Amino acid sequence: MSKSLKLFAAIGLILASTSLAQAQDADAGAKVFKKCKACHAVGDGARNRVGPHLNSVFGRKAASIEGFKYSKAMSVAGSGGLVWNDETLAAFLTKPRKMMKGTKMAFSGLKKEKDRANLLAFLKSFSPDAASAAAPETPKKQEIAAAPAPTEPKAKPVAAKDAPIPEHGVFHLGRAALVEEVKAWDIDIRPDGQGLPTGRGTVAQGEPIYTENCAVCHGDFGEGTGRWPILAGGQNTLTDERPEKTIGSYWPYLSTVYDYIRRAMPFGDARSLSDDDVYAVTAYLLFLNDIVTDEEFELSNENFNNTRLPNEANFFADNRKEEPQNTARSEPCMTDCKPGKAEVTMRARVLDVTPDSKEGEGAGAIE
Amino acid sequence: MPEKQIDRPGTDKGLSRRKLLTAGVAAGGALATGAVSAKAASTPDPLITEIQDWNRYLGDGVDANPYGMPSEFEKNVVRRDVAWLTADSKSSINFTPLHELDGIITPNGLCFERHHGGVAEINPVDHRLMINGLVDKPLVFTMEDLKRFPRENRVYFLECAANSGMEWRGAQLNGCQFTHGMVHNVMYTGIPLKHILNEAGVKASAKWLLPEGADASAMTRSLPIEKAMDDCLVAFKMNGEALRPEQGYPVRLVVPGWEGNMWIKWLRRIELGDAPWHQREETSKYTDLMANGKARRFTWEMDVKSVITNPSPQAPITHGKGQTVVTGVAWSGAGKIKRVDVSIDGGRNWKTARIDGPSLSKSIHRFYYDFEWDGSELFLQSRAIDEVGNVQPTKNELRAARGVNSIYHNNGIQTWHVKADGSAENVEIS
Repeated sequence: MSKSLKLFAAIGLILASTSLAQAQDADAGAKVFKKCKACHAVGDGARNRVGPHLNSVFGRKAASIEGFKYSKAMSVAGSGGLVWNDETLAAFLTKPRKMMKGTKMAFSGLKKEKDRANLLAFLKSFSPDAASAAAPETPKKQEIAAAPAPTEPKAKPVAAKDAPIPEHGVFHLGRAALVEEVKAWDIDIRPDGQGLPTGRGTVAQGEPIYTENCAVCHGDFGEGTGRWPILAGGQNTLTDERPEKTIGSYWPYLSTVYDYIRRAMPFGDARSLSDDDVYAVTAYLLFLNDIVTDEEFELSNENFNNTRLPNEANFFADNRKEEPQNTARSEPCMTDCKPGKAEVTMRARVLDVTPDSKEGEGAGAIE
Repeated sequence: MPEKQIDRPGTDKGLSRRKLLTAGVAAGGALATGAVSAKAASTPDPLITEIQDWNRYLGDGVDANPYGMPSEFEKNVVRRDVAWLTADSKSSINFTPLHELDGIITPNGLCFERHHGGVAEINPVDHRLMINGLVDKPLVFTMEDLKRFPRENRVYFLECAANSGMEWRGAQLNGCQFTHGMVHNVMYTGIPLKHILNEAGVKASAKWLLPEGADASAMTRSLPIEKAMDDCLVAFKMNGEALRPEQGYPVRLVVPGWEGNMWIKWLRRIELGDAPWHQREETSKYTDLMANGKARRFTWEMDVKSVITNPSPQAPITHGKGQTVVTGVAWSGAGKIKRVDVSIDGGRNWKTARIDGPSLSKSIHRFYYDFEWDGSELFLQSRAIDEVGNVQPTKNELRAARGVNSIYHNNGIQTWHVKADGSAENVEIS
């Protein structure tokens, strides 16, 4: 059995369990698409980003956009005849890596059938040739940034004089926050461990979670792909011409790693990892930085404060006021301040900075 | 043809490095096509002697644009990005076109953008602001609640700590939009933060705040309580209208004079605590690496700074010698700008420029230096001095103190080399 035949057999299995009976809603699909937006663009002027653009994806042969660097697996599938339609897209989106081992798409999948159907309806509105695969009700093209409909005031009008006034504060505005509400939003963690949730995870458990969710941008070993942040390595580079500021080489506190992963990662799918998952990924990042070496090392709320990052001591408070140029408060010179005529020592046009060359990038990398 | 637009470089969005590099070249040719003002007329100007379409036919009626837009001849006046700076547009930056603006206020649609997880789209009726932590009573406010507090109107600059960060190793980007465009100046309408905190009752042990955004990066920064109780605002209007989505609609924090990253957009929560949180954006980022490998943290205040916006690489002199306006902007996180000096010979001699327009604390100031250009090359510099007495340093003074790896807080004096043809270039000089 050839590789592509095996792949089609796998798709067939998934197709059997995929039903498109549910009504599709392109508006709801636009919402689902927010999960995809970090990597894919669709609509007028959409260009390839981390993933290929999705205009006219219906009826398109897999791996057929020129100039986009597909995974080997996707290219093989494309040349084997895989064409995107309702069935194949639904199968792929259910669990991309299950249908296509080796795909670059890091997204773990849309578990809900309804989400998939809605997303496909949304994408279809950007595929003018999708008539053959049209759903019973062809959705109209949607404006992604459609203005929200004016919202009616929710509360029933109460006579102003009958409305109760809270007793707190000076202006008596706002209402008490409920314990559950504070718990839902208060997820920050401090270096002393305040805020850590109960939980645990090992290096070994973290590896597959990292590979599935993080490696697409940060690299298999935290080395970073493209201009995405480098997470590991870089020890003893802080005085180099090109310092590498990683968790192991630069970050002062481990709490920041846990806090940031939990609040903002994976990029484009924040808050999708469980607390235990975040412990496991954090443990794995310690391993990638050689701060722990045992794959069975388990990080938990109980032992979290035992691990310190190597660069903690190398931060100091703002002392710009003490710099020479700030302590000399003399009246600045107005005439004959420098000898001789000004000569150009460096020009912007001569200092060539090539967009694609890492060596040539400016000092001000922004992430 | 006076109506013809000067061919400005890079009118497409997302200026590539290649275009940046050729920008100076295109601008250099501008003198030939744009120099019309000083010529004596030998034949009558048909724009005067012939009746023009706009003088004969009716134009659009009211409501042709329910929300008014700039003239079609201004379509090149836009924010631009430098694609190679960042990995992805969702966590990226673009730049205010300073060379196209005048006065002190930045129009809302031209205020530079900086996002860490894209623009959050929030219906204001779905937005909540929570105050929790070391307070007597944790509270939740709706936007309607917030608009019942007493309001204030204040004009403040917002500068990204990384503004001019690409110039630490030397002259790099050819245009003040790119070297200095991570700044804007806006009049905010908002509520003094202290009113909102007092409503919840701040405990004596509370020394720090953690404002948090509702966006996909849930942006957070630690803020000392003295600043919060001093001049911070919780703002919902900019320049009279609702905040733009990319500036934090429906509500953002205003932290006057301090680095832009702390001005949390889409503000949804403020926690009070007794110690700083050391979040990602105040440890791995927005800390200033020194030459010795140690790093400064909590470098909040933005230093005194200025830049000449015209002429500059994207805005060459097109009119030949004679009466010439040099203009630019100056600001300081420490207060008002007291004085701006301009040099046309690379810092050998300085003349004090004229500040015009409102002079407000922690706001951009507009300065002008009107002079007669003799047509010879210029090395233009500006040097700002604030009311506290801080003097804008040279780039070499900063490098001597910090090395070249600190990325942030580069307030060094900028040099533009204006050549005999009127084109201008970003240079460093002896």
